[in-house]
Amino acid sequence: MRRKTAAGIIGWTVVLISSLVMLVPFLTTLFNSLKTYKEYTAVPPKWIPETFQWSNYSEVLKLGNFGAYTMNSFIVALLSVAGALLSCSLVGYAFARLRFPLKNALFVMVLGTMMIPPVVIIIPHFIIFNELNLLDTLTPLWVIEWLAQPFGIFLMRQAFMNIPKEYEESAKMEGCNPFQIYWRVCMPMALPTLATLAIFTFMGKWNEILAPVIYLTTNEKYTLPIGILSLGGQWFGNEQYMVAAALLSLLPILAVFLFAEKYFVQNHVSSGIK
Amino acid sequence: MTSNQQTAGRALAGAGPSRSKRRKWLDQEGRWGLLFVSPYLIHFIVFVAGPLAASLYFSLSDYDMLNPPKWTGLDNYARLLHDPLFWKSLWNTLYFVILFVPSQAFLALLLAVALNRKLKGLKLFRMAHFIPVISSWTVILYVADSVFNPRFGFANAFLTRIGLDPQRWLQDEQLVIPLLVLIAVWKGIGYMMVIYLAGLQSVPGDLYEAADIDGAGAVRKFRAITLPLISPTTFLVIVLSTISTFQAFEQIYVLTGGAGGITAAGGPNNASLVLMLYLYREGFAFMRMGYASALAWVLFTILFVLTLLQLRLQGRWVHYD
Repeated sequence: MRRKTAAGIIGWTVVLISSLVMLVPFLTTLFNSLKTYKEYTAVPPKWIPETFQWSNYSEVLKLGNFGAYTMNSFIVALLSVAGALLSCSLVGYAFARLRFPLKNALFVMVLGTMMIPPVVIIIPHFIIFNELNLLDTLTPLWVIEWLAQPFGIFLMRQAFMNIPKEYEESAKMEGCNPFQIYWRVCMPMALPTLATLAIFTFMGKWNEILAPVIYLTTNEKYTLPIGILSLGGQWFGNEQYMVAAALLSLLPILAVFLFAEKYFVQNHVSSGIK
Repeated sequence: MTSNQQTAGRALAGAGPSRSKRRKWLDQEGRWGLLFVSPYLIHFIVFVAGPLAASLYFSLSDYDMLNPPKWTGLDNYARLLHDPLFWKSLWNTLYFVILFVPSQAFLALLLAVALNRKLKGLKLFRMAHFIPVISSWTVILYVADSVFNPRFGFANAFLTRIGLDPQRWLQDEQLVIPLLVLIAVWKGIGYMMVIYLAGLQSVPGDLYEAADIDGAGAVRKFRAITLPLISPTTFLVIVLSTISTFQAFEQIYVLTGGAGGITAAGGPNNASLVLMLYLYREGFAFMRMGYASALAWVLFTILFVLTLLQLRLQGRWVHYD
């Protein structure tokens, strides 16, 4: 019994220290975003600013292309989510429930594509979008999501396979075609998994850096992560604004996370173990 | 699994006796099925199979995107062998992977074991570890900078206070990769921890009860029960993180390049130039698409061999019931 409490205390300490290690740097960053430039560059640094310069945040919203970056990030993330939900659920449903030629071979291909590192196909993708005259537009950042990514297919297939077949059979009796069954019967029942897929697609696109760096050249077309980096020149001598801008860009994801924490965890469980 | 699906499909099609005897190759359900999977078919042909073939072809040619590719055979690969920057980036990548993968796997397991109990406020602690996971690398840049800025960061303030020399951190050739690893472990540990937590929840509790009766201590229980039973998860974590770490790009691009972008990234003096960064620089900054494709295939081959190796080795230490 005594051993158990000792282990408990060690466990508690590990968790507590580790949580502090996670949170304190973010708190420090938050304080940095509320400093004057003089405080921000002070040596030795002061942790908490004298007065909180909330005006740093309003400066961010006024200056530069911050509004445009935010808009672009939302466009890319939301179009990606819509595309992923539709295409992955369609393909996932077919793999879970329908019988069609070459089904097994195709499913092996889905699994195989998951193993291919994106690095080998980045350059041809760039060339494809160049040929289509779509460089320096937002299209390359979201359009692939409309063509069903393997991970989402896998996730949705799993979800549809877990739905009892009786529901579909009665819809079938009433003369529904496969699309109606998929849309009216199965989609509503797969809502939790759809939420997980939506959240993960949104987060992935919102935070993505490689693709925007490759495809975008005009500053007004940048998404938030690379847009904020590009503001360095404009805000030289006012770098605390960049800290505020970065934290602002975290807000939507943070809101989604606080609102739907369980879906974040659910995804890891199903992707990690199954 | 597949036979289940087929039964499921047949049941759905309302398989009457006449249907199951002689089925047309492409009946109505088959047409629906193909229609449903068509997004992925297009995806596979246009964005996977085609690009794979194209990139292999580019890697065997001289290609700058302005002129059509010119076949040069194995030239690009031969040049790679004599390219000091390729070897440097390969070494940097290996160094990064070797430091990162085991330390993150170990710390994430440790954390998961500590969190795998009924704790008050457990959810809050789990959430604390997820905030770096959901942040973009741009956010992480400023978080890391608050600590490791060479001029006004807290790490140097601390070193000066205890009488040590301040460091240049990410601008130091020796420190840059270990520090990048530290930041990456810190950022990603919450993600790996959740995967481990799911694995730990599948370890049956009565094993621990039996060990308690035998008087086994916490360390012994961990080594004799947890570690072997969690080994499939550990295997998965290590394979996944090896594959993704070999392709690390964003973190190094942002943390070492900052506002300077690709021209600044990989420094100081190429000490943090990893393969993906070198590939990006050759391909998209210098438009040497052929050479960059060759780099991509070398990286692909390394990943392929490593994955095969890990699969081969898993029999030695991974325990499945």
